[in-house]
Amino acid sequence: MILTNFSAIEIHLAAQEVFKVGNFPVTNALFTGAISLILLLAVFGYVTWMLRRGRYNRFVGLVQWAFEGMLSQIESVIPDKKLARKVAPLALTIFFYVLLSYWMSILPGLDSIKVGEAPLLRSIAADLNFTFAMAIIVLVVVQYFAWKAHGPVGNAKRYLRNPLKDPIGSFEGILEFIGEASRYSALSLRLFGNCFAGEILLLIIAVLTSYLSVAMLPVFMAFELFIGFIQAYVFFILTVIFTSLAVESHGDHADSTHDHSPADAKLAPQHE
Amino acid sequence: MINMTGQLYYLASAEAGSDNLFAALGIDWQMLIFQMIAFVVLVLLLGKFVFPVFVKAIDDRQAKLDEAGKAAENAEKKAEEAEATIQATLKKARTEAADIVNTAKNEATQMIEKAESQAKTRSERIVAEAQEDIQKDVLAARKTLEKDTISLVKKAAGLAVAGIADDKLDTELVKKSVEGAKR
Repeated sequence: MILTNFSAIEIHLAAQEVFKVGNFPVTNALFTGAISLILLLAVFGYVTWMLRRGRYNRFVGLVQWAFEGMLSQIESVIPDKKLARKVAPLALTIFFYVLLSYWMSILPGLDSIKVGEAPLLRSIAADLNFTFAMAIIVLVVVQYFAWKAHGPVGNAKRYLRNPLKDPIGSFEGILEFIGEASRYSALSLRLFGNCFAGEILLLIIAVLTSYLSVAMLPVFMAFELFIGFIQAYVFFILTVIFTSLAVESHGDHADSTHDHSPADAKLAPQHE
Repeated sequence: MINMTGQLYYLASAEAGSDNLFAALGIDWQMLIFQMIAFVVLVLLLGKFVFPVFVKAIDDRQAKLDEAGKAAENAEKKAEEAEATIQATLKKARTEAADIVNTAKNEATQMIEKAESQAKTRSERIVAEAQEDIQKDVLAARKTLEKDTISLVKKAAGLAVAGIADDKLDTELVKKSVEGAKR
């Protein structure tokens, strides 16, 4: 815990426990995450109920429009429609849940409603447990699709090559392995960093501007809403791109014998 | 001003309370696994009960759009066919009209020709009849003239040869005179 010069502000890198259910500690991030989960289920439940009855209104149209837009993004990145539809549930859940969770960080009452010493509200996206959990799930799913596409041996060849036959390739494989680890770490840390920094920004603006915060905060809140959308989209699209690159074959390059790796995406524009 | 670097260092070390990096970052394995399971359950729930409904709605709408597109395409095709049929009918009608006009013209020409022919025939017949009448008149006039001539010649010859000639000679002279007149 840190006490700044502004004694009102307390910054905690980790989510804080607010109460316990049995022996299980419920943190403020988990609590807010549960609220966003309930909201998400309520929104989707309502829209699904309406769609099943063939009834439409503006809200249903908005959610359906957002869903369709994201689905078309997946299908444009992954040309194989069957695979795209398999990846869609994970990618879309990430997008909508991260979006809603991130937006919870601008709720009024952030850091002011407290249970004991801990603030009750904290976006779950500002908890590394959650962002790491999502990154690990994405990693597992991407590897699963890569295994299905290339087989265990073909997939392993992306990282493990014979150093005697192909010393440069084997070094590339090691780099690839490190790249995979850093890629998913970056995926989770990016979301956590943005959301955590956003919450701190709102706190600092509120303290610095005092009564003027009534006028100042909405500007930064709107900014946070935009950043929330961007972060949710980045996590979503990177999940789709990693899957697409992991299952993509390197068949169109005559001089290549290994399967495609996500790191090659950086080289792609140079080839064109 | 807040010294951010110093504060972050303080932040991390204060959170950690030890040298454990994961604890410093607030990572709790129990919480991490719980959140992974919760998120997987959420994905499965939405993937099973929510997204298929959305996808079905989108697919249905796409199918309807495709169907409408096909219907529009068919309608366009039919319109083109109808246009072609109309053009063909018009062309046929124009051809038939042209044929009718040509036929009418031909018939008119034929009628005119026929009328002309009839008129010509009739005029020729009239002319021929007139000529015949004239010829008859001429013949009648000649006969009259011949008779008159014979009569005059008889008189003249009678006067000239009144003393030496008889009736037989008169008749021969008259005949020779008539033949000479005829020639």
